[in-house]
Amino acid sequence: MTEVAESPPARWIYASSTVIVAGCLIALIAFGVRATAGLFTAPISDAHGWGREVFGFAMAMQNLIWGLAGPFAGMAADRFGAMRVIIVGAFIYAAGTALMAFASTPGMLFLSGGLLMGIGIALTSFSIIMAAFGRLVAPEKRSWSFGIATAASSMGQFVFAPLGHFFIAAYGWQNALLLLAASTLLMVVLSVPLGASKGGVARGAKEIDMSIGEALQRGFGHGSYLLLISGFFVCGFQIAFMTVHLPAYLMERGISAGLAAWAIGIVGLFNVVGSYLAGIYGGHSSRRQGLVFIYLARSVIIAAFILFPVTALSTVLFTASMGLLWLSTVPLTMGLVTLMFGTRYMATLYGFVFFSHQVGSFFGIWLGGYLYDRYGTYDPVWWISIALGLFAAVVHWPIREKLAASFAAPTAR
Amino acid sequence: MLGRDHRLAIGLFLSLLAAGMVGTLIAVRASALPDSASGKMLAVFDPRLDEPAMFAALVRAGGRPLRRTWLPAVWVVAGDAPGFAGSLRQAGAIGAYGELPMSPELAGCFAYADARTRELFALRP
Repeated sequence: MTEVAESPPARWIYASSTVIVAGCLIALIAFGVRATAGLFTAPISDAHGWGREVFGFAMAMQNLIWGLAGPFAGMAADRFGAMRVIIVGAFIYAAGTALMAFASTPGMLFLSGGLLMGIGIALTSFSIIMAAFGRLVAPEKRSWSFGIATAASSMGQFVFAPLGHFFIAAYGWQNALLLLAASTLLMVVLSVPLGASKGGVARGAKEIDMSIGEALQRGFGHGSYLLLISGFFVCGFQIAFMTVHLPAYLMERGISAGLAAWAIGIVGLFNVVGSYLAGIYGGHSSRRQGLVFIYLARSVIIAAFILFPVTALSTVLFTASMGLLWLSTVPLTMGLVTLMFGTRYMATLYGFVFFSHQVGSFFGIWLGGYLYDRYGTYDPVWWISIALGLFAAVVHWPIREKLAASFAAPTAR
Repeated sequence: MLGRDHRLAIGLFLSLLAAGMVGTLIAVRASALPDSASGKMLAVFDPRLDEPAMFAALVRAGGRPLRRTWLPAVWVVAGDAPGFAGSLRQAGAIGAYGELPMSPELAGCFAYADARTRELFALRP
């Protein structure tokens, strides 16, 4: 028996390439609008006389809500299909963004920029897109489609950052937020090609039909799934720690602000390449081994970087190689979820894996700051990152890269 | 078959790159200050000029150089005289700007972290 994709109606709007482009653009908008938040830190804080921590808390809340809402967004996508979920998400995302313009109290900012935007992002993020790709794209192209979706979402910041700047410069920050809110509604139109994936039906002859509760019970009873969840925590920890603290670390080690800025840019550029390549790799090779390599390589590269004197050359080499490994875990992790559990509940099950990632992100940022304040150096957190990378490599090794027995039809076992 | 997929990916990537660059150019134009502007602003020079030449130009225009940004050809400068932005251009600056849309981009899954990085490198007077 062979694995199959859903057969969409034979119209150009449901053609594979249309689905891919539309999905990538949704991922780009969802990531891009969210990434313009940094542009509004100063205007909103200054306009209301708030400290920067108010805005920072709203953003931290947004990310945790995104993680918390992820499994529920996945359940909705698995039940009702990606299109409906994205449409609802786009309206919630737009409402949150627009209401930020009128938030006159910290509580209103937490509600709009934190809660509503967090839910909106969860309902429109790349995990929902990849779940739709998983069902609509031919199995042999599935991993590639996960890679391109991840790469496209990364490009969102590159496209939307100047747009946000332009809106602020030309129309003021409040109108800029309204315009960004309007642009999130483009996702409503772009979601139409993903409507070919209906949700709520069994997929493929190898998979057995079950309720969402059964799927969760069987998923959490599957050792490889728990290993995947614990491994993805490490990804979030390492990435968030480096995003926040790497610039400060570089400048502390005598790297100029200019080179530090370019170094961050190099990470962003190589991340796009790395995500795409990881998607291609996952299509023909072991995703498990790919993840083991990525986490192991991160540990080795970080160790080499902090053990030797930090120079301009080592900074560029570090950021380029780390960029290649940045979000390259995403297509491989999603690929493993799909492989172990099929496509029926992939968004739900990936949602829980992603929640672990967001918790890891929170700890990466918090611990980075806490231990720096305590010891006056980032070294302890670098070493924790190295240890966690080795831990992730170890826990990915025994993952069984095949359809879980509890999800397989008796004849496929 | 795979060749077609890669062409789709490259086409999408180049289109987004072009969209980002066009957006940046438009945003830079929108940030340009009129000649009559005064106060704190960003002065942008030809990157081939050395530091003393840029500094001298800022002083010649009647400004107080406050600091150099992470982009070596971009300075934060203050000048109270009306028409200071125009004076900067006459003294050799390419232009005078408010906040410029150039900061390194990182794509993590934690917007708070991304916002912190952007704030650190924001080109703001």
